Amino acid sequence: MNNYFLKIFLLSFSIFQLALSSISQQNEKIWFDGLGRSYFSRDNILSNEDTISPNSMSSGYNLLDLNVHVNPIPNIEVFGQVRVQNQFGGFFGSGTEIDVRQLTARGTLKNKVRFSVGDIYLKQNKYTLHNYDEDLNLYGSDLYNSYKSIIDYENFYQDNRWRLQGLQVDFSYKFDRFIRTLEVDLFTTRPRGSSQLNSALNTFQSDMLLSGGTIYSQISKSISAELNYTILNELPNSGTQLSSVKNPVYQFGLIHQYSAKKFSINSKIQTGLSEKSWSHKVGYDSISHNRLGMFFEYKSEISKLDSSFNLSMGYRYVDPNFRSSAAQSRRIDMAESNLNSIYTIYSNDAVVRPISIFDIISDQNLFNQNISPILMNFNPIFSNALPYGDATPNRVGLFLNGFYKHKKKYFNINFNTSFFSEVIGQGTSRKRTFLTFSQLTKVNLNELFNQRKEFNFSLGYRNQITNREGDSIERINLNSTHIDFKIEKELLEKVYFNFSTKRIKAIGNEYLVSRDDFDEILTFQQVNYNRIDYLHALGIKYQFKRDVYIDVQYNLWGSEFNIANFNDFDFQRLLFIFSIKL
Amino acid sequence: MTTNYIRYFIFMMLIFVACTKDEYEGPSLQNLYGEFSLLSPFSISNLNPDFSNNEVVKFHCEFNKSVDWKITIRGLQTGSVKEITGFSNRIDSGLVSWNGNTSEVPFFSEETCALELSFLTEIDTLRDTLTILGKKVYEGIMVADFENGIPQDALVFHQFSMNMTFETASDDPLNGNSYFKMGGRMGWNEWFLGSIDFPLDMSAVNSSADEFYINLGVLSGINGEVASDQFINILISESNHPFNDDLTNNASDVFQDTMEVYKYQIRPVDWIGWNMISISYDQFEVKSSGGNNIRQPNNITAIKLQCQSCPGVSANCPENMSVDVRTDVDFLILTEGTDVLNQ
Repeated sequence: MNNYFLKIFLLSFSIFQLALSSISQQNEKIWFDGLGRSYFSRDNILSNEDTISPNSMSSGYNLLDLNVHVNPIPNIEVFGQVRVQNQFGGFFGSGTEIDVRQLTARGTLKNKVRFSVGDIYLKQNKYTLHNYDEDLNLYGSDLYNSYKSIIDYENFYQDNRWRLQGLQVDFSYKFDRFIRTLEVDLFTTRPRGSSQLNSALNTFQSDMLLSGGTIYSQISKSISAELNYTILNELPNSGTQLSSVKNPVYQFGLIHQYSAKKFSINSKIQTGLSEKSWSHKVGYDSISHNRLGMFFEYKSEISKLDSSFNLSMGYRYVDPNFRSSAAQSRRIDMAESNLNSIYTIYSNDAVVRPISIFDIISDQNLFNQNISPILMNFNPIFSNALPYGDATPNRVGLFLNGFYKHKKKYFNINFNTSFFSEVIGQGTSRKRTFLTFSQLTKVNLNELFNQRKEFNFSLGYRNQITNREGDSIERINLNSTHIDFKIEKELLEKVYFNFSTKRIKAIGNEYLVSRDDFDEILTFQQVNYNRIDYLHALGIKYQFKRDVYIDVQYNLWGSEFNIANFNDFDFQRLLFIFSIKL
Repeated sequence: MTTNYIRYFIFMMLIFVACTKDEYEGPSLQNLYGEFSLLSPFSISNLNPDFSNNEVVKFHCEFNKSVDWKITIRGLQTGSVKEITGFSNRIDSGLVSWNGNTSEVPFFSEETCALELSFLTEIDTLRDTLTILGKKVYEGIMVADFENGIPQDALVFHQFSMNMTFETASDDPLNGNSYFKMGGRMGWNEWFLGSIDFPLDMSAVNSSADEFYINLGVLSGINGEVASDQFINILISESNHPFNDDLTNNASDVFQDTMEVYKYQIRPVDWIGWNMISISYDQFEVKSSGGNNIRQPNNITAIKLQCQSCPGVSANCPENMSVDVRTDVDFLILTEGTDVLNQ
């Protein structure tokens, strides 16, 4: 493996040398960009009750991602990203890793067909292929922007796209009758390759493929239509697994657009079907674990053309059996096997520390980059109404979203409210209901007081109430409140002081769902919550320019469980980040 | 246009609300977390069954949630036990019944039985009694029950060493009043202690090998001890050679190496008391391939039971120098379709 990296490095170095020599001759053929980062954190335990865990620990690294873009001929670009990373504490390069992070070739054939091969970023409809934001993401607020940018970068999260390896092709036509345009996008990828599971037993995991396409057509000035299709399947012959999944999903939508002088109204109606089935080599018949599901959504929105106001509302029905792996895979699997990086084990009982809001905000290793063929675990205190985004199965209800931006930039407000119910109950015929309200308000005090230097505060709030009526066994009442606050002041030119706090309080009871390898519910685990998670951050940021900054932070964070036999925890962190986008 | 949208929207909403299914996903919460209670008493259809007349005892009970339940019937005289288990919220008398058979030998006799209905995850236990007026008659081809001594055509051979017991006895039968003792202690380095051979005529049997069962009661243990590595070989012959051609050897002549013989080992025989062993004929291995190697029950002509044990002499199993081998047998019956305990 080391030899392999050495070869890659030498190859990259050769390309680099070649590039240097060619730059002077043909400047447009090769160019570079990338990212450099220094990261250092020191964590301390504050609780006196834990005498086993180390009192403090530190970690950090330097890394350089060098992006090489080569245009061997016009309309073709080859892109490679080589990472050199050095963990702090390494001696003369012993902790240094050299890795090829991304390789892509893209171009245009005859100025008509665009293609990409290698690492590609894919997104379709919210029900077919979509990488939903992680829990606690309130309108993409920038409260913990340094952490967030690292997590997104390290996990290849770009605009709710999944990073996959494969081939993508798209092309479009314009017509002078019947329809105006026709756009076609096709892809095939391999989210997971065949790999050995156990060398002693000689067992192999199968290849998993994700393929699909989109057809979009502007039928008239006001009406357009879209058709999306994805299929996830495992190739049984490429492994020794006894069962292989297959999950085709179809979506069709009609969009109506109406524009007036100052505003526009867009309406979209869409529906779709899914099938999820497992083929078995032994043990089950062909109809075992086969489920068919559908969804329907109607959404209408009114927007001011100057983008200062938007209001949308709609109705959604997602069948309990609707399964779309590429849209329902979560960024964080809340399974107990998904371990935190910091203080994984804590307290004198040496138990696994549960995922807290600090981990969700800061721990890049918790996040998932793969498409999961079965529904992943979620924690109801962080997200219970729509843990799998809009494609969450077994939901029917109404939603209302909107935003308003003040003309003079004094403030802007985002809000969302929704009411959903289960289509069928879980463990009982009675159904849960989910009422959610959230908002984020940002007030630009510098605009209000007519100052040049940045001075603003943000207040975010989300309340989610889950209810189920019934007897003492069936009854559920879970109230989860999430508050974000941040104040930021530009003290000196490009030097920002900021203080932020984030808090979640969850009280009530719920049942956690445990599923088997075929997505069937095995059992329910009764849980009671009286939990508070908090994260306070105080920091100074020097922003040389938009993507070049030094951020120094002090974080105070922890969880209070208020349940016997479950230990609270409190930690603090000193953080240093120096990030440069080349 | 807008009115049309609203109409269509309302129409679609009505469709999907109407489509809502009145079911639920996953196991019932009531089953997992609900408090258990009886909805109807434990009722028994017949408290004086005569199983010899094919009477059955039916059971009925209802609970508020599905549970793992178990009905245990214990013969107060024989100690025989029958267990019936299930997972449901209802013991349905149409499905749950007892025909007098047993889960573990000895067999029930005419006796009083204690009944118990218990639950895996609940502390509740319901009890009752019944009296068996006539015991169950097991169907099958009885090869030997030793009630009238050793069958007339059977051949017994044993070594002449210490405490050899190749004879019938009445002190501890599995069924009826007699059984056949096979045991003793070898005084030299020899595994084979003795055997009993029975001639058979199975020409009327229609079952295939996997549906043809050899059932044999085996008694082991003396004073709470068993000899190391004692076992029984069951040999079945499909040879047409005369059963007892050579009158000098006290053993059948149809188990020669040149003949079609199949073998199954009950090894080890390491329990204390009686145990009913049932083996389908397809589990027998080829001992000597003098035929077509296809196990055909209707071609069986003889069966041999061999008593063997690890010898105590020559340090193979020195611990056997102080304990007798005991592999006594009773109730050798051949059944079709199912083994004897599941009848």
